[in-house]
Amino acid sequence: MSEGKHTSVSTYVIVALILGVITYVEFALVEYPQAWLGSGWTIFLLVALSIVKFVMVVMFFMHLKDDDRTYSGFFSSGMFIALATFVGLTAMFILPKAVASTRPDNRAAQEASHAVPHELLDNVETRGASRAPAEIADTPAVADRSVSVEAPTAPNDASTYSVTPPAGATAQGGAATAEEPAATEAPAAEATGAQSAAGEAAEAEEPAAQEATAEEAEEAPAQAEAPTAEEPAAAAVSWDKDHGAAVFNANCMACHQMTGQGIPGAFPPLASHAVEVYAVAGGRDYLADAVIFGLQGAINVNGMTYNGVMPAWGHLADADLADALNHVLTAWDDEPAGFQPYTAADIAARRPDGLSAGDVHAKREALGLH
Amino acid sequence: MSAEASSHAASGASAHPAPYRSSKLPDVKLLMWVFLASDTMFFGSLIGTYLAYRERSLVGPFPQDLFDIPLTTVSTFVLLMSSFLMVLSLHALRQNDIGKFRLWTAGVAFFGAIFLGFQVFEFTHFAHAGLSIHQNLFGTTFFILTGTHGVHVTVGVIWLVSLLVTSYIRPMKAKDAVYLEIAGLYWHFVDIVWIVIFTVVYLVEFV
Repeated sequence: MSEGKHTSVSTYVIVALILGVITYVEFALVEYPQAWLGSGWTIFLLVALSIVKFVMVVMFFMHLKDDDRTYSGFFSSGMFIALATFVGLTAMFILPKAVASTRPDNRAAQEASHAVPHELLDNVETRGASRAPAEIADTPAVADRSVSVEAPTAPNDASTYSVTPPAGATAQGGAATAEEPAATEAPAAEATGAQSAAGEAAEAEEPAAQEATAEEAEEAPAQAEAPTAEEPAAAAVSWDKDHGAAVFNANCMACHQMTGQGIPGAFPPLASHAVEVYAVAGGRDYLADAVIFGLQGAINVNGMTYNGVMPAWGHLADADLADALNHVLTAWDDEPAGFQPYTAADIAARRPDGLSAGDVHAKREALGLH
Repeated sequence: MSAEASSHAASGASAHPAPYRSSKLPDVKLLMWVFLASDTMFFGSLIGTYLAYRERSLVGPFPQDLFDIPLTTVSTFVLLMSSFLMVLSLHALRQNDIGKFRLWTAGVAFFGAIFLGFQVFEFTHFAHAGLSIHQNLFGTTFFILTGTHGVHVTVGVIWLVSLLVTSYIRPMKAKDAVYLEIAGLYWHFVDIVWIVIFTVVYLVEFV
């Protein structure tokens, strides 16, 4: 076919050399970042270089340059469809995410996060460094995150963490004790105090890290359960409605929708269903478990079967989960009878159970729900 | 694929083109290009899916915790050089130089095996670091994409080795070059897919 016009070996050698050099340049661009280039141009350059490599292999190694054009026709139509698919996926998934950061409610969240000192934000987001700025802005601000962990005096020794007992329940009614001036400052501070209440002399400079919540929560419940679970608070526990909505919008809304209606057949509704579950004996704990540990298995809501996976949200702070649950129970329905808002301590008390998503499903069945 | 290729080759000497053929192009080669076009769409969707779910993982490990760019650069280089050996091998066969054809083909298969070795090492390392296909969206999309590519490389290595073995059982001549050529097309295709993956999955993560 293409016999007679074969590429010569010297051409192959040159092409291979160029390919090797380009690969090294790509590596160098990433390994030794050039400040003057900026990340936008670096990405552009990387993509351009890989296109050059792509085209060189196709043209010289696969011989499309000299070969029958039928082959190029087939291959480029495949490439065209692949690129169209790619553009479609980009339009559906990546653009909405970018647009989301310009919506008013997200703008508000972003502005709220500006109130937080930058060195704090840096610390909090270290482990999620790969997340997009828009997403980081969606996440509740650090100020809301309620936990302050004092650095251990010795590495990896749980006993050296200084954990203060939750004081939210005992210090209720507004009369904040002298050790906790913070409790009076903001509505959110009550939940905050329940978790951290850094009353003791803070020896450490380490700011709060979201991930540390779980570790702390492991130890907290012993002290936490006593005041809250046994004696219901005399005064109605107040909670931060805006914060609850913010946590819900950032984490739950994608599936359960802003209206709590879910998506029939795919994601179960929360509106009118969550309060129903809450009313069942043991439903209050079950709801917390479902949020902390996730839920996996077929369930039936309003005559429709859902067989998906609710991811575990245990990596969020106790106060976040508590407020999100309160939001779910009050946003679309009347408060259930005898509604007792979740507190961070309630959530912390559920954590030691360490259930699996399947266990939570079994628990749901045990409650008589399906 | 290779069995089909060699059986065609066996009857190739006596087969005459049918009089009503509309194209003078060899069927196997046309078929390979059609297959590659479809495989392009396949990898296009996998890469698109990876990018769509990029940075949407809620729990770690995240790509930046795991990727080792120097290591991946070496394995990328190995795969590129295997493509170079592939064209040398085809060139040698067209010159009826069976000795060199065997040498270069063995080289391609060997480099392909090295690439797979890197991938096995990488996957094992990621698994130890806590990344599984169930762990997060990154794990799911990454393993599906690079795993599918790894399967393609594995098929290519088996194909080339079988061509190599065939050449010892039954003499291969310059006229059989088309069967090596389509194996080569497949191999280069696997290479260009990796060129894209290397950039959009690995490199971009660190810019």
